[in-house]
Amino acid sequence: MSIIAFKDTRVLIQGITGSAARHHTKNMLAYGTKIVAGVRPGAGGQEVEGVPVFDNVAEACEAHRIDATILFIPASRVKAAALEALTNGVKLLVIVTEHVPLHDAMQILEEKDRRGATVIGPNTPGMISPPERTLLGFVPSRYFAPGPVGLASRSGTLTYEFASRLTDAGLGQSTCIGVGGDRIVGLRFKEALQLFQADPQTEAVLLVGEIGGTMEEEAAELVASGAVTKPVIAYIAGHTAPEGTKVGHAGAIVAGSRGTIKSKLEAFERAGIKVANRPAEVVDLVRQALG
Amino acid sequence: MKIYESEAKELLRKSGIRTPLGELAFNPQEVREAAARLGQAVVIKAQTLAKSRGKAGLITFAETPEEAAEVSAGLFGRQHDGERVEALLVEQKVPCNQELYLGVTIDYTEGRPIFLASGKGGVDIEQIADEQPEMIFRVSVEPSRGLTGDQARDLARFLTSSMKGAGPEQEKILTELALRLYEAFTGYDCEMVEVNPLAATNGSFVALDAAMVIDDDALFRHPELIRPRGQSEEEFARESEYRKRGWTYIRMDGDIGILSSGAGITMAILDLLRASGGRPANFLDTAQMDRQGIYDALHIFQGDLTIKTVLIHIFAGLNRCDDLAEGIKDFFTEQRPTFNVVVRMVGNREDEGKEILKSIGLEAIRGLEEAVQKTIQVTREQT
Repeated sequence: MSIIAFKDTRVLIQGITGSAARHHTKNMLAYGTKIVAGVRPGAGGQEVEGVPVFDNVAEACEAHRIDATILFIPASRVKAAALEALTNGVKLLVIVTEHVPLHDAMQILEEKDRRGATVIGPNTPGMISPPERTLLGFVPSRYFAPGPVGLASRSGTLTYEFASRLTDAGLGQSTCIGVGGDRIVGLRFKEALQLFQADPQTEAVLLVGEIGGTMEEEAAELVASGAVTKPVIAYIAGHTAPEGTKVGHAGAIVAGSRGTIKSKLEAFERAGIKVANRPAEVVDLVRQALG
Repeated sequence: MKIYESEAKELLRKSGIRTPLGELAFNPQEVREAAARLGQAVVIKAQTLAKSRGKAGLITFAETPEEAAEVSAGLFGRQHDGERVEALLVEQKVPCNQELYLGVTIDYTEGRPIFLASGKGGVDIEQIADEQPEMIFRVSVEPSRGLTGDQARDLARFLTSSMKGAGPEQEKILTELALRLYEAFTGYDCEMVEVNPLAATNGSFVALDAAMVIDDDALFRHPELIRPRGQSEEEFARESEYRKRGWTYIRMDGDIGILSSGAGITMAILDLLRASGGRPANFLDTAQMDRQGIYDALHIFQGDLTIKTVLIHIFAGLNRCDDLAEGIKDFFTEQRPTFNVVVRMVGNREDEGKEILKSIGLEAIRGLEEAVQKTIQVTREQT
């Protein structure tokens, strides 16, 4: 098994006629993702890579059962597109777009909660479930292989980096999720951990964090509470980043006593989570955890 | 993006919040004229983005226009936290019975706005939050509904309960003020807006100081606010260019340049470099790179003689190594790089990319740690 995305997950692509969306639709279809429809206002009736295009989400939902949508939508229009998907009952949204305004992200999350949906991102490369041959987003699938490791990461590039190291070492993955690099994202480490805990195929979880935010601390508290019994390994990028400096991801801002590298490392230690100090240590720690 | 106090106050006034009468002045003569027009004792406040202006002596008082001009002469040109004081806000001195605090910010863990109020304004609110949490009233706001009338009234009641002689009239004014502050918070896409202190003065309220941070990613909705602040025209132009490209660039004082895509991997590279004694010269997170992009980005380092080596990091998941290698080759063909280059390259069409780099005498490295070690070695040999 995997989590969140499965081989029978039926996927919609919002903004399917854009050049990046076309390209990634083709890649996802080639990998095995079941893309059943696309949306682009004014382009209803067209096809992209053999996928029928509709004018809006409501029409797509009428014609097909839609389990998930991936938004290839410019930042300024993400809010409208996400709310459209949520109000039409889509239960899983993957928002790959970077630079979504914070106030827009807050409204999307509020609506997501109201509807009991899941939002991955914004600012995520998406997710991949190798055992299910399902890719939602644009993680490069060739670096992933099926296996027992669950991976959740705030960084897209580090997702590829660690997945390829695991795969090279013969350690495949159940599901890998880029939770998104922004300060406000939908699915957080804590929820990913709960899902991995419940998934029989996942035997160990790798969390790839960053300085800033409180996601690492929340995950550590969950583990410390005893709710997660599977081994958890962590790596944090930004050990040496100056505190309070905004680097890249908006997420890497340090605020209050939580969010600092010290606070995260202490929380992991209290929870008994093994931390890789360098990328090179990750594979060994995961291998040890798998026993 | 943080804006100046004078700008924040202007935006608050547009939202219907009272601030002291005041004018911006750019030289002592203008300070004198402004003080004369205000016709009373004034406060003179240096406009810088840094915190703690009071402690740095950048806020001062004057009784007469002459005194105002005189003290201002000592403020213009002062350096504070890397900024040069170029403008002063000259304001009426407002009598104050009690200093209150009002602020709205984002609770990132909950993904919601949070409204904060305290009857103990004027001091470091973080310290109060830490030591006397009961002195701060917190209201979590539903983004789609905004601050409700009931929530605003609760905030106002909390504040009046801490004030001597405050009645229903003050409660009404504060309720309205809270609603307007929240309106400014959403209307200007703020990460944070703060009035500290809010002066309680003879039954009414005036925002003596204001701070506002606007979400960079929402600036497309507020283009009128984009302008240089505490930076040269040249720096501003460069920043605008990078923003347009979606790059984040932060200059540091080391000698190893880094050209990389993705904040996570770039931070990991900085960690590895520092752990081995290397000194990074920058943080650069470029968006998805292509041939032209990598060629353009290499120009950031060209001619900067403090940079001895540039580590180019390529993990081509969506793009292609050969395309990026062509961009590096273009640069090498047209320019004589003023730095050494180390390339880590993995991903799509890796072998083809390696061949292209070989043709310009570069050996691509496959391992991240190995590339970092090589970078440090090459940089040491240079010195």
